[in-house]
Amino acid sequence: MKRVLTGFAALVLAAVALAEDPALEHWSKIYEVFSHPRCANCHVGDDHIPRWSGEHYGEPQPHGMNINADRSRIGAESVLCSTCHTQQNSPEPHGAPGAHVWLLAPVEMQWWDKSSREVCQQIQDPDRNGGRTLQAVADHIRHDELVHWGWDPGPGREPAPYSPEEVAVFIEQWAGAGAVCPEAS
Amino acid sequence: MRQWGEAMNITVNGQVHTVDVEPEMPLLWVLRDELGITGPRYGCGISMCGACTVHVNGLAVRSCSLPVGDVTGPVTTIEGLGTPESLHAVQEAWIEHQVAQCGYCQSGQIMSAASFLMTNPNPSDEAIDQALSANLCRCGTYPRIRQAVKTASAKLRGDAS
Repeated sequence: MKRVLTGFAALVLAAVALAEDPALEHWSKIYEVFSHPRCANCHVGDDHIPRWSGEHYGEPQPHGMNINADRSRIGAESVLCSTCHTQQNSPEPHGAPGAHVWLLAPVEMQWWDKSSREVCQQIQDPDRNGGRTLQAVADHIRHDELVHWGWDPGPGREPAPYSPEEVAVFIEQWAGAGAVCPEAS
Repeated sequence: MRQWGEAMNITVNGQVHTVDVEPEMPLLWVLRDELGITGPRYGCGISMCGACTVHVNGLAVRSCSLPVGDVTGPVTTIEGLGTPESLHAVQEAWIEHQVAQCGYCQSGQIMSAASFLMTNPNPSDEAIDQALSANLCRCGTYPRIRQAVKTASAKLRGDAS
């Protein structure tokens, strides 16, 4: 009973924090997108291994065939991503997805396996966000073709939530509300 | 991408061909069914096995998944990698190590290895294993593939040892 009450109290405190700080409410939607497999699977860390997920895979798992994009983040050291990833999604189930370019995000932009607070701090750090202001981050999501692939991922893959325009607006609203990050849990 | 109904020119193994096909047709179908070039093989049809690997602009691609309308440069298949009189170093190494067993995947393996050695001329064993893992061989010839790639690498670098 004590454990139930403690859990309930934590939920109430989290709800109160969200209700009190609109910035956190905006951030929770942004993190919902950034932590989604369509985004996080290619924002991996220094193991350079893209992740796979889809309707038959269950939880995200390492890219098959021992694929490693290496430090080049395009597989130049072993198998170039462009060997299989063409400029468009394969129409076949489990076929390779594609876009006009195909590469991992820079390693300093890791989202895979990172907490909401960690991603929140990274996205507003110019040393780890490509030297962007938050407005430039919003515009990047609004206009970048590879980012837009997350909402058009081909058959058998769940698109990222919301839309690029909605996410860009969330970022602008979050920045306008002070770009507050959640506390460490 | 080219539009439907437009005949297109495609250069394969140094020869220009005019083909009248839909731009969405995978390159492999054009090579095998339209041009009769049967070295590239159909395996999985979704870029997973590598049997269909050819070069476009000198780099490996999976021809089963690449729409012909997206081909942006000259295509090289196993038939054009070397000649019977002057084999490519990878082909020579494949013979030297007698890599093939059933042989079905081997044209794709050789094309992948040749592309890999262009971008990584002096690979470690680990890099070879990693690179060629993306080409499936159900006969399990990987140990011989690794040796052949090492031999070809040395030949291409002019290392006699």
